[in-house]
Amino acid sequence: MAAIYLVDVDQTPVYTQYFDISYIPSTVFFFNGQHMKVDYGSPDHTKFVGSFKTKQDFIDLIEVIYRGAMRGKLIVQSPIDPKNIPKYDLLYQDI
Amino acid sequence: MVSDRKEVSEIPSVGPMAPAHHCPLCRQTFFCGRGHVYSRKHQRQLKVALERLLPQVEAARKAVRAAQVERYVPEHDRRCWCLCCSCEVRKHLSHGNLTVLHGGLLEHLASPEHKKATNKFWWENKAEVRMKDKFLISPQDYARFKKSMVRGLDSYEEKEDEVIKEMAAQIREVEYSRQEMVRSVLEPQAVQDPEEGSSTPGSWKQRNRVSSSSQQPSDLDLPTAPELDWMETGQPLTFIDHQDIPGVGNIHSGATPPWMVQDEENSPGSQQIGPSYEEFLKEKEKEKLKKLPPDRVGANFDHSSNTNACWLPSFGRVWNNGRRWQSRHQFKTEARNKQQSRKGKT
Repeated sequence: MAAIYLVDVDQTPVYTQYFDISYIPSTVFFFNGQHMKVDYGSPDHTKFVGSFKTKQDFIDLIEVIYRGAMRGKLIVQSPIDPKNIPKYDLLYQDI
Repeated sequence: MVSDRKEVSEIPSVGPMAPAHHCPLCRQTFFCGRGHVYSRKHQRQLKVALERLLPQVEAARKAVRAAQVERYVPEHDRRCWCLCCSCEVRKHLSHGNLTVLHGGLLEHLASPEHKKATNKFWWENKAEVRMKDKFLISPQDYARFKKSMVRGLDSYEEKEDEVIKEMAAQIREVEYSRQEMVRSVLEPQAVQDPEEGSSTPGSWKQRNRVSSSSQQPSDLDLPTAPELDWMETGQPLTFIDHQDIPGVGNIHSGATPPWMVQDEENSPGSQQIGPSYEEFLKEKEKEKLKKLPPDRVGANFDHSSNTNACWLPSFGRVWNNGRRWQSRHQFKTEARNKQQSRKGKT
């Protein structure tokens, strides 16, 4: 069973800075207190930037993360179709 | 034994009594003397060896007319074995970072030493005379090759120049498009709210389109339209300020996570989790004695404890298994019943 927490970025400055959250919404996944990385095809594997297109995408992603974590993996491959993953720019200071 | 292996001894050879003669072509020692070269085996070996060498020579001969010049690659250091001279010869001629294909081999084939060695080889191994010419390159051919080599070098240089010009044009294009993007980004930035820069779908789309095109300048016809379709229908991303505190690291730089950082208040004292050592020993004792009731007959019998009439070794049972109290219980029950029945009688 996955627990979902909605966190306000203004109230957690330490974590926002640690995870380098520049775009909201961003989703970070944990399993047993271990941060799970997922390869979405985007440059940042530490979090999912943007909103999910369908509920099923979200459910599939959680399942893949769970299965990988139960096998002891720390990074898994995202099952979401690349065209459903929001694109964003990793601009550095707007260059 | 015989120092020069290929030399046939002065003693006239008489059939099987002939001295050992090592044939390098068949890589075997034969005792047939000079007759060996006429044998079927030797001729077969000879044919195979020449067939192996022939294609390389033919390729080199083709290069006489049209010499090819290419950029140097370590593969061009390959060598080929010249059967007649019994030596390895550099196949291609390389100088600096250019290579002339088959140059080395041609040079060797045209040399007079090779001609002498070929004649010797043909004579000793009794090969077909007509084949000999195929493995030789005349000096005139070699001169022709040199001329075509010069021509090849010139055309190669011209080609290189063209390629460089093309690359320069491409780089200029990229620079230009990049500058365009910077300009377009700076303009909307000036218009936006200076506090939390939350981008509207329109300008974000534009920025995305322009930036994605700058990432791949060669394919400017990127299918950005279908990608952005979904973004339009969905909700746009909100951009928060960059989480860039120079001194402190973040996840990408491999800093320790905030939840793993040691708290300063509790760290001075020893943070022991779990029972202390004495508690652990007590638990162990309890485990040991858990199985044995303290009042049972046997070890740890306290002689000062009060005993009553029931304290007997056994209660007359014979086939008993199980605890003593079970037989005691049985005995007591029977004693009670007996008493009751006796009371009932009287």
